[in-house]
Amino acid sequence: MSFYEARNLHFAYNDKVVLQGVDLCIQEGSIVSLLGSNGVGKSTLMKLFLGLLNPTCGEVMLKGKPLKNYSIKERALHISYVPQSTQVAFAFCALDIVLMGRIAFESCFKRASKIDISLARAAMERLGILHLEKCTFQTLSGGEKQLVLIARSLAQGAKILVMDEPVSGLDYGNQLRLLETIILLSKEGYTFLKSTHFPEHALMLGGYTYALKKGRILAHGDTHETITQELINELYNTNIALKQTVCGYPVCIPSFVHIK
Amino acid sequence: MKNSLFFSLMIVSLATSVLISLALGRYEIELGTLWQFLAWKFFNIGETPHEVVLLTNIVFDIRLPRILAVLLVGAALSVSGGAFQAMFVNPLVSPGILGVLAGASFGAALGIMISDSWLGVQLFAFLFGFVAVLVALVVAKIYGKNSSQMILLVLGGVISSSLFSALLSVTKFVADPYNKLPTIVYWLMGSFSAVDMNTLSSVALPLLFSTIMLSLMGKYLNILSLGDDDAKALGVRVAWVRNSAILLATLLSTLTVVVAGMIGWVGLIIPHIARFLVGADNRVLLPMCALLGALFLVIVDTLCRISMNIEIPIGIATSLIGIPIFVLALRNAKKGFV
Repeated sequence: MSFYEARNLHFAYNDKVVLQGVDLCIQEGSIVSLLGSNGVGKSTLMKLFLGLLNPTCGEVMLKGKPLKNYSIKERALHISYVPQSTQVAFAFCALDIVLMGRIAFESCFKRASKIDISLARAAMERLGILHLEKCTFQTLSGGEKQLVLIARSLAQGAKILVMDEPVSGLDYGNQLRLLETIILLSKEGYTFLKSTHFPEHALMLGGYTYALKKGRILAHGDTHETITQELINELYNTNIALKQTVCGYPVCIPSFVHIK
Repeated sequence: MKNSLFFSLMIVSLATSVLISLALGRYEIELGTLWQFLAWKFFNIGETPHEVVLLTNIVFDIRLPRILAVLLVGAALSVSGGAFQAMFVNPLVSPGILGVLAGASFGAALGIMISDSWLGVQLFAFLFGFVAVLVALVVAKIYGKNSSQMILLVLGGVISSSLFSALLSVTKFVADPYNKLPTIVYWLMGSFSAVDMNTLSSVALPLLFSTIMLSLMGKYLNILSLGDDDAKALGVRVAWVRNSAILLATLLSTLTVVVAGMIGWVGLIIPHIARFLVGADNRVLLPMCALLGALFLVIVDTLCRISMNIEIPIGIATSLIGIPIFVLALRNAKKGFV
């Protein structure tokens, strides 16, 4: 029995076919990166994994049980979603946003309990952002916002985090720090399904990679075996060379860069 | 800390204005006399005041039902306005956004035309308030795969409002101009003068219950404002929350028309003032809307009763007072949706 998997997923928005037969298998505690060009269906696939969309054919299974058999609350106990960016219309402070992760556990008309608040603060402390708890969410930087959203997932208590392009819009330093956070959390047993536009990031994270093209899986497996020069060039219609550094770490070098 | 101060202040001002409102009117009661009378009535303290029968009649039979109705209607309109503003994430939304006020007004006019009993009028108003919202939801459903697409709901509401406003015009046009038309026109200006114990006792409980329920939904409305996907992933049943909010707000709005006709502006401006006081967190904002709306309307209604020889229709007064307040509130709008 596998932990979290998609079996023969098909999906279409009205008559626009997006996915045609995707199989994807995620092991507990692993990091799975989704690669593919814009509009190839990465976000759709993640929404199917979250249960936000229903497949036209095929099934998502969580712990051997179809995802659609979980109630929306049960789902939230297992899987959490870190969106690319969150539109926050009201002036909530960071702690309020993290506390929203506890909504599935709170009783209907009660205020957040002391336990909920301490869990939320613990999640923020773990990511080193407790000092931001009173700050208004909109005033935070992109990197801080992402960390607040990840803290929300931790507070939610779900062990699977589905992240839609988590590093988009972050500066170089924040990108690296975020990737490091993902690695640290995965060592603690958290499972990640994330899409990315950067093959380099998948290589940094290791784990597994699924490459998506025209609604099908083009290649998949261990990241360092799967991501090849040919695959990248085919996925993105580029012309790069994948070289090994002296210590054996792969780097992508575009053809327009001339190395002496 | 700041918030509990505002809430205590609000409750004190509310109690004070209710007392003052009980004292003021065509027959003015000295505050001291009123105090003595109430103390004697409720706690059996002090001596029996003079004119007990007269006081009982004025305070308990005439003024109190009306003031209670005013409080409930003010709270109901403001909470539904606040909840809709949160749900549509738009500060320009008022309780009538889905057509409920237009529908209920048409229902009342139709009721005045074809029925002779007051109860008939109220039933028609109630019924058509719901019909209008249903029309809006159906229109939204036809064009959107799920009614969660807010823009379609707004458009559905625009269509439904226009439809029932047009039907209202038709009703006015064909109504008997000497007998029925003035009644319709006067009703649409809004007034609490017809409120008695009977009306109050039939609407008080649903109004109170829905106001409290809607005030307590702030937590969920906060999460809805993050967007549907986020809210669902956090384990919130989005459609269920949204439909309950719409149902409660519709019930509240249509009941206000049943009680007092059309009262504009309250549901639009009170949430702005409340947001100015306590911020945009709906958990705090919605209860504050209820208190502030009740306070505002009880003051306006008292002014309507005492300021001139004839009573001013409250719908006119709320508009005249509401517009300048809204202009002031707009100064805040450039800071964004607070």
